[in-house]
Parts: sequence; structure tokens; C-alpha cells
Amino acid sequence: MVGSPVLFIAIPLLAAFLIPLLGMIWKESVRIVPGLVLAYLLVLSVSLLQHVLAFGPIIEIIAGWKPPIGINLVFSPFSGFLVTLMLFLGLLVWAYSYRFKRNVEYEPALKYFLMLMMLITGSVGMTLTGDIFNMFVFIEITSISAYGLTSYYKERNSAEASFKYILLGSLASTFLLLAIMIIYSQLGTLNMADIATKMHLMKPGYKVASLIFFITALGIEAEIFPLNGWAPDAYAEAPGPVGAAFAGIVVKAAVYAVIRVIYTLFDLPGAYQFLIVIGIITMVIAETAAIRQEKLKRMLAYSSIGQMGLVLIAFGFGTKEGIYAALFIMFNHAIIKSLLFFSGSYLAYNSTEKNIADVSGMAKHLPLTSLLFALGAFAIIGLPPFAGFWSKLAVLTAAADSSLWLIIALVLAVSVVELVYYLRVVNRVYFFKKEEDMEPQKPTVNAMIVMLILGAIILLVGFYPDSVTGLLHKASSDLMDKSQYIQHVLSAR
Amino acid sequence: MKKLLVIVLLAVLGFYTASTFFDIGFGSPHFVKGIDPVKDIYINQTVKSLNVPNAVTSIVVNFRGFDTLGEVTVLFLAVTVLGSVLYKKRHEVGERSVLFSASSVVTSGAKLIFPAIILLGAYVFIHGHLSPGGGFQGGVIIATGFLLMLLSYESYSVSHKALSIVESLAGITFAGVGLLGLLHGGSFLHNFLPTGVMNSLFSGGIIPIIYIAVGFKVAAELTGVIYTVLNEKGEGNE
Repeated sequence: MVGSPVLFIAIPLLAAFLIPLLGMIWKESVRIVPGLVLAYLLVLSVSLLQHVLAFGPIIEIIAGWKPPIGINLVFSPFSGFLVTLMLFLGLLVWAYSYRFKRNVEYEPALKYFLMLMMLITGSVGMTLTGDIFNMFVFIEITSISAYGLTSYYKERNSAEASFKYILLGSLASTFLLLAIMIIYSQLGTLNMADIATKMHLMKPGYKVASLIFFITALGIEAEIFPLNGWAPDAYAEAPGPVGAAFAGIVVKAAVYAVIRVIYTLFDLPGAYQFLIVIGIITMVIAETAAIRQEKLKRMLAYSSIGQMGLVLIAFGFGTKEGIYAALFIMFNHAIIKSLLFFSGSYLAYNSTEKNIADVSGMAKHLPLTSLLFALGAFAIIGLPPFAGFWSKLAVLTAAADSSLWLIIALVLAVSVVELVYYLRVVNRVYFFKKEEDMEPQKPTVNAMIVMLILGAIILLVGFYPDSVTGLLHKASSDLMDKSQYIQHVLSAR
Repeated sequence: MKKLLVIVLLAVLGFYTASTFFDIGFGSPHFVKGIDPVKDIYINQTVKSLNVPNAVTSIVVNFRGFDTLGEVTVLFLAVTVLGSVLYKKRHEVGERSVLFSASSVVTSGAKLIFPAIILLGAYVFIHGHLSPGGGFQGGVIIATGFLLMLLSYESYSVSHKALSIVESLAGITFAGVGLLGLLHGGSFLHNFLPTGVMNSLFSGGIIPIIYIAVGFKVAAELTGVIYTVLNEKGEGNE
């Protein structure tokens, strides 16, 4: 055994409490320590993932009480894959913002890096936990850091965006608590595997009521329409790298929670169709809204919501191919949307409004950044030979396997919409004249390296999709096999 | 028309979910159903293997101690976020705005009662595993003591640095005890110390240590919140 999954939570929390002390001795440590922690955890999660793929899931017991009495963490191929992805992106977000925050004073820098680290830890915790109340605690950690990061810049309209987020976020927490309460009162347990085995004892009325509360609560965090009112504002007002962290890390964790609840906890046959319906509504509304946006980051935010709709549709098929496709989109979206946020914030660096018009003609001044933005745009639309093509293809084949022809037509139609609004931006970057008052800003070295890494991954996955598909197949069969999950957790020593 | 539809839909949904909650019957002695509910195990094991008379404490600190570590972090984060939202450059921090100063009855009374409040708070969290109360409650009591002092004396100030050191050390103690459990007992937050004799002060293994750390942390954090908010000089009241 190389290490224990509980370190994913314990080390960042210890570091978070330690950083204010270290900062008193050496100010630079508040920037460096979070990066070291994330790098260590990434190494740990990669080695644990290899272990898990070979020997089966690790169930970590906490406080010496085995499930269902105590809390447990589950590091399975499915959760391990997501954790590795989140930590990788988290490390990149840290590296991107490392120098970016150098011109900021000590205290705001301390708070920025603390909140960023806790945002990642909370999301990782949501993914790892096998206890439903523990998940609530991690959602709290994630969302409180997210409120703080949204309101980070005082000169923007960030307070309003953050307040909107707080209102909806507290509603989500309350509803989640109500759902947990119903389940506990009926089954007398909080462990997910234990709940799954006892779910048939619950009266259907209670089942539906708690599922409604769960979907509403987690839907707010997972940006499901009509609960995503906070998202475009939060993405637009938060610092650029934080937008990437929201799209790549927080939303992924929330989608994981939705899927875990529907696939493992509840066994309602209608729930899958429900996922498809809300997925379609979310996707269509978000993509048609994206085409009307004037601001770059709002457009990216709506596109992100649209992709989450596609993920929900793919999960709603309820087949192994569907899960595989959904995971593939989640992976691609995390990589590509981060690249778009990173490069997009440099293209519109000196613009106060961050309008799409302000990025006109930047290709002459920032050739590499523009190229990377274009690469990201082409990849997310799903043009071959980039990474996004394979995930979209996977969705289409999964839909064809379930003979859902209407969905294939819809996904293709929405892709055309995506093509229009992304090409509009790329067209402006390359073929329009630069706005006179827009000064181009050269990316810092770290930012450039981070963007190049992401671009390289997009090309790598595009040309050799086999580099990830094996892992994705294993992760998706792990989610499908509910009885094995229950057996592993309840037989943990 | 649209609004009417929304109201009707909400009413139906609200009635349905509310009736679910009335059905559960919160407050009746046995509202938790299910086969072998964990509550029975908690109550039996609290006395049997932890030697602690207070079941609430044993659940909060031992059985579900991981959640408590999370909740402590939530509080820590809330304070961090508040500090970030209200952050001003040092020279922009003004005097505390006072409408009228406290009367001599309040000031002399506060001086008298302040040590007693601190003592009560400390008592509540040190005896958290024996009697009702615990780290969160004790910490809040101590913070109210500081609130009283800050309200009665305009010049009273708390060192932000000291608060932050206390807060960090307490947090490190909690996480550190958890990691020691991982080293000694094989699982995070494992109760690796002897549990001692029931009802004595030094019993319950790591439970009192964690609760004392939580007490210090909550006290320092809430005092920090009060101090930050009191010193917030808004644009309206200059």
C-alpha cells in the first residue's frame, strides 16, 4: 500500500491551518505550500489509481469504526479517476495563478491560495466520501470557498454575483440536509452502501420526496437548468483561473454526486429518463443562450452548462457505453474548458468589460495564446482530430446503441450552434482589426507552460484516444457494478 | 397567469413535501425506523468502548469526528472569506464607529463579569465529554466575553496575529491528533489513547483533546469575526 486515501483530506486541511503560521515567518510560503501539497497529492492519487486498477477499490475506514457505523472513503477506479483529474487541474490552476497574484498584497494572496486549496479539497472529498452526511460537509467547504473566490475582485460586480451564489447555495445546503434527514429517519443509516441495500424498505412516497430534494440541491451545484442562475455571473466575475477551477473541478464533483445518488442510492427506473430530459433542456437552453452572449466569460460559462447537459444525457442512457461517453466528456471538458478560460483571460486581459469585441485582432500580438484558444474552441466543438471529437462520437454511438435517434439529431444540431458561437470568437481574434484602446498583455511564463500542457493533452488524446479510453472503460464498469460497490464497502475490515 | 401557475405548482410541491415531514413524526421517541439503525450502536458503544457518559460528544468527536473536522474547516473558511470580503489596506481601517459610549455601569460590570465568562466557556469545553456542552458551545461563550469587552470599551482591541496563531495551532492539533491515530491505530482519528475511568476528567482518550482544540479554535475565530465586523468602516457612517 502506497498511502491512504484519507491523506487527500488530512494533508490539505493540516496545510490550511499551517499556512497562516508559515506566512508569518516567510511570506512567499503562502504561495508555495499549496502547490507542494497539490503536487504531492497528485503523485499519491496517480500511484493509488494504479494500485486500485490492479487490486480493486480501497475502502478507507475513519476513526476505527467500520461501515456503517463510522465514515468511510472509497477510492475506486471511478472516484479515483475523477480525483486524479481534479488534482491535476488544481495543480495547473495553482501554477497559472502563481505569478498572476504576485502583484497582490500579502493578505489577499494568503486568502486566495487558501480558498483555492480548500475548493479543490472539498471537491475531492465529495468524490471520495462514502457517507452521505460527510458529502454534505464537503459540499459546504467547496461552496464557501467558491463564494469567497467569486467575490475576490472588488472592482468588478463580484459582490452581486457572489450574493446570488450564496442565496442559491444556501438553498442547496438546506435541501440537501432535508433529503438526508428523510433518509436517516426511514433507514437509520447514513452510509451510502448501507442505504443502497436498505432502499427497498423505504415507502415510495418518501423515496420520491428525498430524491426531489437531492436533485434540487445537487442540481444547483451541478448547474442543471433552471437552477443555474448563479453560474454565468459567478464565472464572469471571478478571477480567470477560478472560472477554470469551477468548470473543471467543482461542477465535476457535483455531477459525480448527482450520479452517485441516482445510480447507487436510488433504484427508481424513471430516474434515468428524468436525467435525459433535464439534460436535454439544460443543453438546449444553455447553448442557445451562449450564442446571444456579448461577454467572453459568460459565453464560456453557458457553453460549460451546455456540456454538463450533454454529460447528464449520456449518464441517463443507463448503459455502460453511456457512462463511458459521459466520463469521456467530463475529462475533455475539464481539460479544454480550462484552456479556454486560461487563454481567454489573457486575450481579454486589459478589457474591463471582457466583451467578445475586445479580443478582435489579438492574433497578431499574442499568436501563441490565440492559437491555443482556437485549438480549445475547435476541440470543444468536436472537430476531428482533437480530443472533443472522440467524446462526442462516444455519445453518439452510445445513443445509437440505445436507439435514441432523436437525441443524436439533437446533439448534432446543438453542435452546429456551438460551431457558430465559437467560430465567431476565433474569427474576431484572427481576422478583425484590433480595438484601439486594447493593450495586449503577454502571458507569464507559468501561464504559458500551463496552457501548452493543456494544448498538448488535447492533441495527444485527439491522435491517440487509446491513451485514456482504457482507464475510462474501467471507471465506467466500476460505476455500473453497484452490488460490488456495496459488497466492498460493507465488508471493509 | 404565469405567476398563478407557479404558485399552484409550488403549493402542490410544498404540500407534498411538508406532509412527508409531518408523516415522519419528528420528536416522537422512535421516529427513526430501519433495520439495526446506527443510533443503537452509537449509544451502546459510547459507554462500552469509549467510557464516555455523553453520547452526543462521542458521536460528534469520535464516531463522526471526520465531519466535525470538516465543520471546523467550514468555520475557518467562513472567517477567511469574511476577511477577504472586508479586506482593506491597513491605512484605510478607521476608528470603530461609536454612536454613544457605554455607561459606567456597563464598563465596570463588564470588567467584573469578563473573567467569569471566560471561565465558564473553558469549563464547558473542558468538560465536554462529561456534561452537556463541548468545544463549539464553549468557544461561543468565550467569544461573547470578548464581544462584551469590545462593546464596553472603545479602545479595547484584540491582536489579529494572536488570534490567527491560536486558530492555527488549534486546527493543527485537531488534524495532527487525527494523523497520529493513522500512525498508531491504523485509521485517521483513531482513539489511540487509553479511555481511562468513566466520569473522570482524564478519560475518553482523544475526545477531550480534540474538544479543547475545537474550543480554542471556535473562540478565536468568532472573536476574529466580531472584531473584523466592528472595525468595518462602511461608506455610510463616516
